[in-house]
Amino acid sequence: MSPAARVATGLPANPLAGRGLRLAAAAIVVVNGFFPAVWILLTSLKTETELVRKPITYWPRNLTLDNYVRAFTDQPLLRFLGNSLAVALASTALSLVVAALAAYAIARLNLRRRQLILTAIVASSMFPLVTLLVPIFETMRALNLLNTYTALVLPYTVLNLPVCTLVLASFFEGIPRDLENAAMIDGCTRVGALWRVVVPLAAPGVFTAGILAFVNAWDEFLLALSLNANASMRTLPVGITLYQGEFTFPWPTISAALVVAIVPIAVLIALFQERVVGGLTQGGMKG
Amino acid sequence: MAILDRVRDPGERTLAVVLLAPAFALLALIVVYPIGRIIYQSFFDARLSGGHGHRFVGLDNYRIAFHDTEFWTATWHTVAITLITVPAALVVGLGLALLANLPFRRRWPVRLALLLPWAMPLAFAGLIFAWFFHTEYGIVNDVVRRLGAGGEPTMWLLRPGWAFAAVCVTIVWKTSSFMALILLAGLTMIPRSLYEAAEVDGASHFQQFREITLPMLMPSIVVALIFRTITALQTFDIPYTMTRGGPADATETLAMLIHKTTIDYLDVGYGSTLAVAMFVLSLAVTTVYLRRLARTP
Repeated sequence: MSPAARVATGLPANPLAGRGLRLAAAAIVVVNGFFPAVWILLTSLKTETELVRKPITYWPRNLTLDNYVRAFTDQPLLRFLGNSLAVALASTALSLVVAALAAYAIARLNLRRRQLILTAIVASSMFPLVTLLVPIFETMRALNLLNTYTALVLPYTVLNLPVCTLVLASFFEGIPRDLENAAMIDGCTRVGALWRVVVPLAAPGVFTAGILAFVNAWDEFLLALSLNANASMRTLPVGITLYQGEFTFPWPTISAALVVAIVPIAVLIALFQERVVGGLTQGGMKG
Repeated sequence: MAILDRVRDPGERTLAVVLLAPAFALLALIVVYPIGRIIYQSFFDARLSGGHGHRFVGLDNYRIAFHDTEFWTATWHTVAITLITVPAALVVGLGLALLANLPFRRRWPVRLALLLPWAMPLAFAGLIFAWFFHTEYGIVNDVVRRLGAGGEPTMWLLRPGWAFAAVCVTIVWKTSSFMALILLAGLTMIPRSLYEAAEVDGASHFQQFREITLPMLMPSIVVALIFRTITALQTFDIPYTMTRGGPADATETLAMLIHKTTIDYLDVGYGSTLAVAMFVLSLAVTTVYLRRLARTP
């Protein structure tokens, strides 16, 4: 391309080279991603009188932690946090075990219909959760399981089964069979070899799948709202949403509670971002 | 070797059954049985609130749904949200992915900026954006005022059209990050040599984008689109947290109507009928996705 034509496209000779352009690009992505969280953080640090002042302030004039105190005292926020943790951890552990077994069978055994089995697991979990809401609600109600952790842990486990199975199956495929065979020659049973050799080697995969499952469970809203509506059994998203009265949003407390609820998940993904990205694309692309 | 054979051969099929049993048992309980159940229940007048029995009514529920304007409105909102937010999230997500793919020295700020919206619960995005769009104290109206647009502040969440738009904007923000992450993974897999060859041949950047980037990215785009479409059809969290479906049902989706019918009115018969409708709507999309999956080796 001639220099003249280059000018005509309006692009510098090599757009990757410009440092200013790179900074601008980074700024756009970073602002887009962080702004809502930062804005809610700033909101949570303003006094209630400042929040209803017009025109609105951007930077808090008098920093205050009152909203945080009230977020914990007006509502059982600590309890919501505990509920979210319990449900997310239990369902993550359960989906990892179930998915590890299934993924091993899919990756290792001479199954004639491997692809069909994998497809069945992925497909059945792709049906819209909301259509399953009616019978799940009925079943949990009949079994007296409404407002218990079990009511959420079982569906969340299924919700996470496909992504965990996909991630783990592809990790298992990457582990040489010889290692297992060696363990079996040394006297391990097949299942023993799975737990002692394959699972430890697939630890990064187990970890990745675990983070994805945890985030999914932490974020789920519809079932948590429908099955565990009792104030003491609400998870964080449900609990904070229901701070809202009929026509009023108590924004000072909501904003503080949101910050409290976003921090754990933000720290988790910040620490393990490469794994999360890898797992996401694996679970998505292979699926 | 004898031990090995004994462990491996006779046990293979049994082992497979044992290993797969927990997964399939859970799927049967939480997915397969419920699907049968909603189809069965949709032929019954089944209300869990006191005084009502369980009465076979044939196609009555379907007839009611056919004449139920709220059902059609909610279905239309669901389809409209899907048709608006899926392509919009693709465009925004592609833009973010292209920007994030530039050779930065430190990759983590950009990567984290894409991960945070994805990891945040939809309900939280809804709450935060409801605050953005607040009539009196929201930043949106403040920016509008600073830009010099006079007159009364817009009541975003209290006017049907504006509320619908605000819900769509929020969904696009929340979901474009996932799109960007999938597309970014696709972008990094395009060999640099293709661009170098194009450069030698004198292709413009726009030509390179159209002839190399887009075609090479197509598989990722298709996967991201299908995933996004399936979730868009189930839209619930964001309109629920922002508007509760209001004003005057202007942002009520099919999922919200199913939730209201079942959980608030305890009408599981009609709720099941609506769920069947949703099921049929999603089945088409899922079929497309599975066809694709079956072709993947």
